[in-house]
Amino acid sequence: MSSFEKVGDGYSLDLTLDEAHILINLVEQLLELLGEGDFFHHYDSSDPLAQLLAMPSEIVTPDDPVLLRLLPNAYADPEAASDFRRYTEPQLRGAKQKNLRLVREELTILVDENHGGVIEDLNADIWLKALNDLRIALSVRLEISEDSFDKFELLPDEDPQKPVYAVYFWLGWLQENLLGLLT
Amino acid sequence: MAKTMDKAEVNISELLDRPWITIVWDDPVNLMTYVTHVFIKLFGFSKERAHELMMQVHNEGRAVVSTGTREEMERDVQRLHEHGLWATLQRDDKI
Repeated sequence: MSSFEKVGDGYSLDLTLDEAHILINLVEQLLELLGEGDFFHHYDSSDPLAQLLAMPSEIVTPDDPVLLRLLPNAYADPEAASDFRRYTEPQLRGAKQKNLRLVREELTILVDENHGGVIEDLNADIWLKALNDLRIALSVRLEISEDSFDKFELLPDEDPQKPVYAVYFWLGWLQENLLGLLT
Repeated sequence: MAKTMDKAEVNISELLDRPWITIVWDDPVNLMTYVTHVFIKLFGFSKERAHELMMQVHNEGRAVVSTGTREEMERDVQRLHEHGLWATLQRDDKI
């Protein structure tokens, strides 16, 4: 089974080709989802200040539950939440995209060369955050709860959701594995 | 010319000075070890303190992880969201 390893001061990850494919597939799907709010084109072009600061005026609470969990409301009060979102969401979205893009870059090498292998000298902090965002995204789709692992073990092998659960728990294992090396 | 502050105004000013707090909420996804790691990384807590707060989130459903001005709490919430934790800020209602 694939795992992270501590090599000197750095970290590496050994993946099979299948695992690299699964990861890059999820990373690209999440990048696509995060890119949906094409916010750079939505600010009022007649407002010179908005343009000057590249401040989008039309950022709304996401409808998609995955996006709402990844880019959550900071306030219980809807108006305060919406104000805060208008000023901070592009940065939060951008930070998540940046992590995913970096992970994608490192996976692309394996996938393009069509073999498994070791990703050397990876940025553990970015991988932790990216793995976590992938797990969050899957958890919303799978409606993960405290007893989901028991549910997963009872699912028959032919259930179409079984492999998705398996990927979700595998990502958790990978993240735990990396965390264990950091502490 | 401004008149001398009376008692009512002092109370209002105390109210306005009431600190803001950052709350982290429990969710069934974030790993306990990850939440502890993020608390240490973002707030510089000792391992013991970070673990204690993580357990409070896990057992009680929420924990206050920082206190300060509204701006400081907004920054903390943003950093927690960058790490995938579910956090909100509000005025401290305990005072």
